[in-house]
Amino acid sequence: MWQRRAFLKSAGAGFLASLAPRQLLALEANDLVFASSIQTSAGKYGAVLMGERGDVIATIDLPDRGHDITISREAGRGVVFARQPGTFALVFDPFGNHAPQTLTSVEGRHFFGHGVFSPDGRLLYATESDFEAAQGVIGIYDATDNYRRIGEFPTYGTGPHEMLLMPDGSTFVVANGGIETHPDYGRAELNLDTMDPSVVFIDRRDGKLIGQLRLESGLHQLSIRHMAVDAQNRVWFGCQYKGAPSDTPQLIGYATMSGEIRLIELPPDTLRDLRNYVGSVAASSDGTTIAVSSPEGDLLVAIDAEQKRPVLVETLRNGCGLAADQTGFVATSGRGEMIGIAGAERPQQQFDFVFDNHMLRLG
Amino acid sequence: MRFLVAVLAALLLAIPATAQIISPAEMLRSSVTNFIRPQTKAFATRTAELSRAMYVLCENGDLIGAQNAFAAAATAYGRLEFLRIGPLMEDNRADRILFFPDRKGIGLRQVQQLLAQADLSAATVPGLQQKSVAVQGFGALEFVLFGTGFETLTTSDGAFRCAYGAAVAKNLEEMAADIAAGWADPEGIARRLTQPDPVYADYRTTTESLEAIVGLVSHGIEAVRDTRINPFIAKANGKANPKQALFWRSNQTLPMLRANLDGLRRLVELAGIVADPVLSGEITAAFARAETAIAAVTSPVEEAVTDPAQAAALADLVTATQVLQRLIGEDLSATLGLSVGFSSLDGD
Repeated sequence: MWQRRAFLKSAGAGFLASLAPRQLLALEANDLVFASSIQTSAGKYGAVLMGERGDVIATIDLPDRGHDITISREAGRGVVFARQPGTFALVFDPFGNHAPQTLTSVEGRHFFGHGVFSPDGRLLYATESDFEAAQGVIGIYDATDNYRRIGEFPTYGTGPHEMLLMPDGSTFVVANGGIETHPDYGRAELNLDTMDPSVVFIDRRDGKLIGQLRLESGLHQLSIRHMAVDAQNRVWFGCQYKGAPSDTPQLIGYATMSGEIRLIELPPDTLRDLRNYVGSVAASSDGTTIAVSSPEGDLLVAIDAEQKRPVLVETLRNGCGLAADQTGFVATSGRGEMIGIAGAERPQQQFDFVFDNHMLRLG
Repeated sequence: MRFLVAVLAALLLAIPATAQIISPAEMLRSSVTNFIRPQTKAFATRTAELSRAMYVLCENGDLIGAQNAFAAAATAYGRLEFLRIGPLMEDNRADRILFFPDRKGIGLRQVQQLLAQADLSAATVPGLQQKSVAVQGFGALEFVLFGTGFETLTTSDGAFRCAYGAAVAKNLEEMAADIAAGWADPEGIARRLTQPDPVYADYRTTTESLEAIVGLVSHGIEAVRDTRINPFIAKANGKANPKQALFWRSNQTLPMLRANLDGLRRLVELAGIVADPVLSGEITAAFARAETAIAAVTSPVEEAVTDPAQAAALADLVTATQVLQRLIGEDLSATLGLSVGFSSLDGD
């Protein structure tokens, strides 16, 4: 958890002077900070940093629609990745001391919406697509050298989406959604008949494949897209089904580094209301509860990670963003709402902008 | 009689001239009965005719008849292919009917290989259905009827080619019939879409159903631009790629685009989803602009992309689709009180 004191300390003395008094108050008042991509009521794209109580600390303008955000205390920077397939990532200083820096995707690669920093903050990794080869890669950027792109690793699959760093600090887990897109055809999905999604574990140091896990072959149209790690290092994932709409495959599962992968059983009603579309997955602060969302079905579900069954179902119109707070989860929506679920005690709030699919908790 | 006329006149007077209030439930019903059912039925009829025309070709050598039937069936599909819900999305039908875009030319390679090997299992519908989606539909049939070696269709050398083409046509006929039957079923998707209910998995409320319809139109326009126009027109580097155009061999590229936009326009009009007269005028004008642009492209695409006037018309067609997408995806959604969900429907 990124507590206020650490937050202030890591920023150094310099930034305090540059913050407007209102921002300073906001930082003082907040133990937690959240970040999300947004669209303003005027239709402009941006990102927002919010305090624990939903107070806006800072906003950042984006050239186009952003998606997930990653922040490194060590690097003193956050990065907003363009929504896939995107051509930019914006590096920003959460404290506003340095002007934002726009990274442009290199020739033949597009950003795919997610990324992480190395534990020491020296390297930034981003899921990208080598679209001519229809292969996923992890782009590697040197945070100590102006975010120069210094190389890439394969993701061992097509259409990578979310990537996380495992708690060991040396293993990536990547969700290869399996869907091929190409800039010549916009967002059209080009290979729905031959999709091959997988969860892969990759060595952060040399890019070597540690393990690749697939669901049974009858589920090849189940695109694995978003993940969160629980207290037992299980990687929980949420899927989007690209097969016949009348099919009702299970959509939530977990994978482990020992090679297990399975879908858990959700009751028919809950599954139906997820509408074959899970938009984000988050773990609680203590890692014992997993929350998943479906903006299609307006549904939020909290799952006991040990029992592997749902413990709470809540509705939120177009709800998608999820992040743990101290006691539960914060959920945000594509209609500008923010609520607390599964133990989070907070009032429902309405903003004059709308939230993108993901909410990040700093820390 | 005179009394009746008077009553009718009084009733007419009572309705303000500007009132055009159609309830959301009525819009949904109109979408299905005025557009979806007739169009899916027409597609089934055209593919049945195509199937017969292929039979006649193989028996009597009427190549022109089969080629014309291909164009009629393909454009009938063009009018409804944006209906990516319900039966079109079952059993991979959308890809089996038309596997496109096919950036790497997988379908072409597979069809050529199948023809070279005279793979008899591809000449029956059950055998064909076991094969790659790319050899089952319009793309494959276009190569059979218009691609290298099509002249053999009227000779004994082309017997296998013709039998394979007939199986593809029959396969299309079957799929089109299944789609029409799916929409005609009074207990099927038509009911769920027009009488939504919280117990249904797909449509729980009228708003959700209406969002689905408006979303189909908005995404349909985007798909026409991204997969049917942009891939072949001149890029920033000035190079066009006419062989990335759908149906360039049969010269059906533009008729297909016209059919796509015609279908989208008809659904918008026939469903009565645009009540606001100003917005309605703008949408009509944008569709007309697209139609004018298409009409200006009179040469086969290979020549059209190098002719300045026709290339400009294609660029204007792209602009028209951008305008349409904004008018329908944003403005119309707003007037209907829909959120074409910022966080959904984008595979993120």
